[in-house]
Amino acid sequence: MFGRMSLSRLSSRTHILPLLQQSRCVKDVLWSNYKYTRVDTSCYAGVWGLMPRCGYGSNMTNGYRKPQSFGSGCLWKSNSFSSFQRHYASHASTEQKSRKMLLYLTALVFAMVGSTYAAVPLYRRFCQATGYGGTVQRKETVEEKIARHSKDGTVTTREVVVQFNADVADGMPWKFIPTQREVRVKPGESALAFYTAENRSSTPITGVSTYNVTPMKAAVYFNKIQCFCFEEQRLLPGEQIDMPVFFYIDPEFETDPRMDGINNLILSYTFFKVNED
Amino acid sequence: MSAGGAFGGNRGARPVPPEKGVFPLDHMHQCDLEKKDYIGCLKSSGHQSENCRIFSKKYLECRMAK
Repeated sequence: MFGRMSLSRLSSRTHILPLLQQSRCVKDVLWSNYKYTRVDTSCYAGVWGLMPRCGYGSNMTNGYRKPQSFGSGCLWKSNSFSSFQRHYASHASTEQKSRKMLLYLTALVFAMVGSTYAAVPLYRRFCQATGYGGTVQRKETVEEKIARHSKDGTVTTREVVVQFNADVADGMPWKFIPTQREVRVKPGESALAFYTAENRSSTPITGVSTYNVTPMKAAVYFNKIQCFCFEEQRLLPGEQIDMPVFFYIDPEFETDPRMDGINNLILSYTFFKVNED
Repeated sequence: MSAGGAFGGNRGARPVPPEKGVFPLDHMHQCDLEKKDYIGCLKSSGHQSENCRIFSKKYLECRMAK
């Protein structure tokens, strides 16, 4: 009774009643046609004894009916139920698969962000180890190095010319120049160099300096024993001052094949203004 | 090294502080004489640091004392 009612409803929609009556078993393909023509958002809980399917639209509702209600003689049960089960099972497995995929992708996002944060100290360590990009290495102190080389009796013959460069940042009214143009030094000998700075303005100005050595790959061998960098230096108006730098080139500079063509080093200092608040 | 530019070049390089720290500056100009001696020696000897080693030693001693 109930089945016939629904059947008439079905037939009025899709005109499959003649087809149904003709064929012994309705193939899945007809049912699939039916499935997609009728979109139903209401719940079918317990109407045909099936699982409640709310809001799944055209997919699963109305496509399946209990074979008993139709009264056909063919093996509908296995057909519809197995396909239903198959559909339900595949839906559940795709849901599971997509959940796994979601977890995997979320984990990947976190891994990427985490590695970005970790990259900073890792890169720093890499630079320290390899001296890449001009990082000055710090493995042993200069004293130890000098002691070791004097013990080994290393003789250095190659003369290296160290030239000096001085810069000031924009808006810094200091006159900052190297006192001597260059110093010729052999690796393994410590040398002294001077810079002269003069405060040309009428107010006391505090500056801080930073340095760099070019060519960058030679910076590994350039050791500064004492200098005036990284500390704030205060100059009164009109004051002129000499700033010394005491440095040392590692004797291993001579034996390194990468330093073959290098005979000139340029030590460059730049002064920046410190805002006094 | 031109490849240094790829990794941020100069920006990536971190300056290392000097071994013995900062040279206290000679604001009082007490060691000016020693400094002048050293600079003069450098200029006359063709900027050879070897020849003027003694003057640099004098300058350092002066700075340590005063």
